[in-house]
Amino acid sequence: MKVTAAAALAGVMGNATVAATLDHVNVPVPDHQTTTLANGLRLILVPNHDIPMVACNLLLRGGSRLDPPGRAGTAALAADLLTHGAGARDAHAFADAVEGVGGSLDAGARNEYLQVQGQFLARNSTLMLELLADAVLRPRFAARDFAELRARRIEELKAAKDSSPDALLGSYGRALLFAGHPYGRSVGGSERSLARITRADVTGYYAAQSASDRATLVIAGDFDPKRMAADVAAAFGGWRRAAEPLPPLPAPARVSGRRVLLVDAPGSAQSYFWLANVGVPRRYAQRAALNIANMALGGSLGSLLNQELRIKAGLTYDASSRFTRGLVAGEFAITSFTQTENTERAIALALATLGRFRREALDATGIDAARNYLLGQYPLAFETSGDWAIAFGDLDLYDLPESYFGQFGSELLKVDAAAIRSVIDSAFPAPEDLDIVIIGDAARIHDAAAKFGPVTTMALADTEFAPDTGAARP
Amino acid sequence: MGARSGCTTRLVTSRLAAGALACALLHGAVAAAAVSFADAGAVIESRTLANGMQVIVWPDHRIPSVALYNWVRVGSRNDTSGRTGLAHFFEHMMFNGTTRRPQGEFDRLLQGSGGSNNAYTTQDVTVYQDTFPRASLELVFDLESDRLANLAFDPKVVEKEREVVYSERRLRVEDSNPAFLSEQLQATAFLAHPYRLPTIGWPSDIKAWTLNDLKDFYHAWYAPNNCTLVLVGDVEPQQVFALAEKYFGPLARGPVAAPVRTVEPEQSGERRMLAERRAQNPLLQVAWHAITADDPRAPALNLLQTILTGGDASRLHRLLVEERKLAIEVGSGWSEGFDPNIYSIYATLAGGASTAELERVLNEELARLLATGVTPAELARAKNLVAAGFWRGVATLDGRAQLLGEYAVLHGDYRKLFAAPDAYERVTAAQLLAVARDVFKPQQRTVGVLLPRTTAGH
Repeated sequence: MKVTAAAALAGVMGNATVAATLDHVNVPVPDHQTTTLANGLRLILVPNHDIPMVACNLLLRGGSRLDPPGRAGTAALAADLLTHGAGARDAHAFADAVEGVGGSLDAGARNEYLQVQGQFLARNSTLMLELLADAVLRPRFAARDFAELRARRIEELKAAKDSSPDALLGSYGRALLFAGHPYGRSVGGSERSLARITRADVTGYYAAQSASDRATLVIAGDFDPKRMAADVAAAFGGWRRAAEPLPPLPAPARVSGRRVLLVDAPGSAQSYFWLANVGVPRRYAQRAALNIANMALGGSLGSLLNQELRIKAGLTYDASSRFTRGLVAGEFAITSFTQTENTERAIALALATLGRFRREALDATGIDAARNYLLGQYPLAFETSGDWAIAFGDLDLYDLPESYFGQFGSELLKVDAAAIRSVIDSAFPAPEDLDIVIIGDAARIHDAAAKFGPVTTMALADTEFAPDTGAARP
Repeated sequence: MGARSGCTTRLVTSRLAAGALACALLHGAVAAAAVSFADAGAVIESRTLANGMQVIVWPDHRIPSVALYNWVRVGSRNDTSGRTGLAHFFEHMMFNGTTRRPQGEFDRLLQGSGGSNNAYTTQDVTVYQDTFPRASLELVFDLESDRLANLAFDPKVVEKEREVVYSERRLRVEDSNPAFLSEQLQATAFLAHPYRLPTIGWPSDIKAWTLNDLKDFYHAWYAPNNCTLVLVGDVEPQQVFALAEKYFGPLARGPVAAPVRTVEPEQSGERRMLAERRAQNPLLQVAWHAITADDPRAPALNLLQTILTGGDASRLHRLLVEERKLAIEVGSGWSEGFDPNIYSIYATLAGGASTAELERVLNEELARLLATGVTPAELARAKNLVAAGFWRGVATLDGRAQLLGEYAVLHGDYRKLFAAPDAYERVTAAQLLAVARDVFKPQQRTVGVLLPRTTAGH
């Protein structure tokens, strides 16, 4: 085949693929049953007998946005401790029970919820439910375990600065972009905020926030749904409702203009950067068009950002963009990294690429390419019971219709150039309106950083993710 | 249980669930569930083309997708001094155009028809991964056979990709203390065998690779007889074999790949190395010369690894992290390869903790292990964790393609995957103790320490 023939093939490939596979453009939503217990707990059961395993996903609305002021990380520590001793088992006995049968049960916090996820061999599903109920309803919060975990989390934040500076960009970035809003809080806390948290903060938090009518439990996999429903009712029926409704979560405002936070990592081999503004919520109506647009800008190897920064310029190993979408908003962020001396060039190229994308949008070929990629990849996000446990949890948490996953393919097919233009205008920030975080060797890149906006500098070794307002160095 | 070093990938992370498993090698299982694992492989068919390429097909119709993994038997153990990192660099170049298709066309065609791709290089193998809708099957065969037969070497493209790889090195090694220490530990533990070479390459070599190095490498290693093609998903074996014949059949058999001749001489005493860097937390890594992937003791060593560091109930986590509070994290890993690689235990210390103290406590615990072995409860926990890990491994197309390829290439026969449950179930406490005694010998130990640099201001 000649190159021209290959190109011709590519021209029809999009449509040919869609036509040939139209019967599974959409991923069939598996059979499931949703019930609400008398105490308000929502239960979703998704039987699937492919693999002899069972997965659970419990979501408790609230999360770290309800951390006490100045004590970021309280919810995360509370979540951590749920699986470190509960019911009749201390931390050791609990871990022995989980791992002794080859299971997993882990809890964590997000800004808007706490989550407990587990996976066990099907024959241990009764034990899974017992351990999950103990963790959620009867956590011990033992003083020794609290002290040990808090100390370890502080050390882990320090160690992350030695091993993966790129992974910390979001913590610095959200503190800047969402300053004063709960989305700006570091879910895991900072070295300084963790040091302030007491065991009473943690027990107080959980006593106030743990409530049956704020929770959704999804169980997916190889089990008998009738028996499981009865077992869940027995195990969780005594959970009490919330004393008060959840406080409202206001939508954060977009930022105008630019600010630069330079986080000094002396001797760093590269500069790691994050360019962001407030994005759109999970319930954003045009999410199919949003997915196509972001796929084209920075969502894959063939995306514009990766083409420009990596493939054409050789400036980086990776350049990408993504939307994080929560209850009321989230951030749109471009991230990449480059050799220290190329910092200015790489950031300028990322900004120019965003600007060009906003001006030129996508032609029909670009839309088809991104659409087909999403159509082809989307079934792979729903391969396992664990995937569906997460998906059904998301639907309930964000109050989304089943068609959110079940009709995603059909929605992708409807996206046209006008829809892309509309989401670019409404969801993608202008390059002139961005908060910028750079982690790198400040002595060598300060002048480059200053080209992009007024710079505030802090040290990577500082114990917060935001500069001390009084002590910020110019 | 992949090692923490020696595996580099084309992408930082996958952005969809279809992404690569990369280094996450999962191992064997215990057949205890209602569905028999031993029978799961009955539908798999395998064929070897006349030119020596092996094709293995696992039909799986749960979703309308396919995973195709091309396992090439070349890794950084086939690199040489002055040309370190070439196997990995080559992995990048395989996406950069052929004589039929310009740079970018591979991604454009594949993504435009719903497929994603990635690749990774280890010390032993290079694996190319495509995951795509079943309607794109023939296109993928076309693309994969094209780059195996017709790779282009554009000097301008080579220079750009050199910078990309250097950026990958800065990300993964130079700005990461654990990876930096691991690279140096590997280079210290091996004097002679090419497992001493970093998979991503030394910086001076990254700067110095030539076009001819690349061409020589291609002709030496990229031939159908050095590849194993694994397909899992919504396909039928006969359909796949027909496409394999059509697209790969015409390719000529290549030269028999040169074996790695060097055998690492027996280590006759402990080696130690120190790195001083900008750091908040000290690191300790200890490595022992171990065994090959296909060694009959491998299941016992994997179970031992789970007993020592797998999960919160593991021995070393409890002792070093929870009880003694010397470390905030402890792990261990073993690179299962064609030749005996190292088994290493690695720890991130709590700020202010002493690496000497941690090493002393670790050594005491290993001495206790060698004296008294493991308990029945520890062995049962490890077997159950490995069993569950296996079921998780085969839950996805990518997981199946990874496991099949691993057993076909590193263990010599994909069918061994389905015999693995019995192998793990049969391991006794005595066998576990025996492999522990074989591996944890003080005279074949290498100790690496990373300490915060003590300069003014830090």
